Amino acid sequence: MEALIEKLKEQIIKQLNLEDITPADINEEDSLFGEGLGLDSIDALELIVLLEKEYGIRIENPKDGQKIFFSIKTMAEFIQEHQKK
Amino acid sequence: MMLAPTYIDGSGAVVPQPTVNQDKFLEEILEYNERFLQVVSPVYKDYIDVKLLRRMSKIVKMSIVSARVAMQQAGVDQVDAIMTGTGMGCQIDTEKFLNAMIENGETLLTPTSFIQSTHNTMGGQIALMLGNKNHNLTYVHRTFSFESALLDAMMMIAEKEAQKVLVGGIDEITDESWLIKTQIDYYKKHACKNSEVYNDLQPGALSGEGSAFFVLSADRSEKTYAQLKGVSTLYKPRSNKELEDFIKRFLVTSELGLSDIDLVIMGNNGDPVFDRVYEDLATGLLKTIPTGRFKHLCGEYDTASSFALWIASGILRHQHVPSTISQHPFKGRTPKNILIYNHFRNINHSLILVSTPDAS
Repeated sequence: MEALIEKLKEQIIKQLNLEDITPADINEEDSLFGEGLGLDSIDALELIVLLEKEYGIRIENPKDGQKIFFSIKTMAEFIQEHQKK
Repeated sequence: MMLAPTYIDGSGAVVPQPTVNQDKFLEEILEYNERFLQVVSPVYKDYIDVKLLRRMSKIVKMSIVSARVAMQQAGVDQVDAIMTGTGMGCQIDTEKFLNAMIENGETLLTPTSFIQSTHNTMGGQIALMLGNKNHNLTYVHRTFSFESALLDAMMMIAEKEAQKVLVGGIDEITDESWLIKTQIDYYKKHACKNSEVYNDLQPGALSGEGSAFFVLSADRSEKTYAQLKGVSTLYKPRSNKELEDFIKRFLVTSELGLSDIDLVIMGNNGDPVFDRVYEDLATGLLKTIPTGRFKHLCGEYDTASSFALWIASGILRHQHVPSTISQHPFKGRTPKNILIYNHFRNINHSLILVSTPDAS
């Protein structure tokens, strides 16, 4: 799980081009949207593509997104549960 | 067509030379020995919110910085219209998006590069940053793109539809686009020194990129330092005579004669075939007028004439012709009227006339 969280942090920084942010700056339990990392709806679309491209996981129900993308930890838990690759 | 006076109150450029936050006006230039010239990146964070910056590709960033510099210089925080000219648009993000389509079998496409790949992204992003909901138009007419934007801006001012217009020309170079255009001899295949580009015998031009924006105004103010007197284009002249007639007609329309022109800035780009058109004029119709060249500073790109206008208006502002644009030390009178003549492969020819604010 630890390794997956670190990998996710790096992938998100790269995919979203989060300049000046290192994996150490991201708390795995902080919210990704709003006050945490401050991501927005376009970033949400980027994260959906990241999940499918890197982990082969497709989010079937868009309503689940809010829960899955709450934090790095919730993303990692979701990946671990559904990973196909 | 002679239009109402249009004044230049501010200008900003991001090109392969240091032009942002510089006290000196092109006194020293950067020398390159490259396949193509790329812009000197300013500190973008000084001009753009970091949160927005992360989604912007180079062309968007350089257009915003040059627009901001122009507006700061003009002392305005809003304009009545934004006119943008770009020949190729956001090439980096277009390539990113198309490559992702190929690699992922037309699936898993990310939104950012798609959103940022349209030609009007620059005009849109500038408007978003200014909170500007006024007239906003992007012209994409290859090497007439900037001239079209400029003409539209001048007409809006002449028709009193706008008092102040932000107008600019931007293009970026990528490895892919450079490679494609070397295949058809548009661009040079091998590295070449920019300082020696006019003597390079390889076919094609030394390619480059850049962005230049201007704040045009209907009224003269304490910020005004130049006057835009005219812009005109000519498509595929059949002979040198047709080209010479085009220049003569343009000057007559601007109520000037050849002897009134103090400097001609020409668009030579190092292409041995097509630079002959400039040489014929410099030794023929325009032989009595001092000439300058600028594409060794920025390379060839579809909206390079916007950088020529930045130089011309800078000359009028500083009352000084930098030695870096002329082959020989400038010995003429202090320029009052500067003519910019540019052409692309003897197809698209354009003229821009810029004068001191008080020139009649």
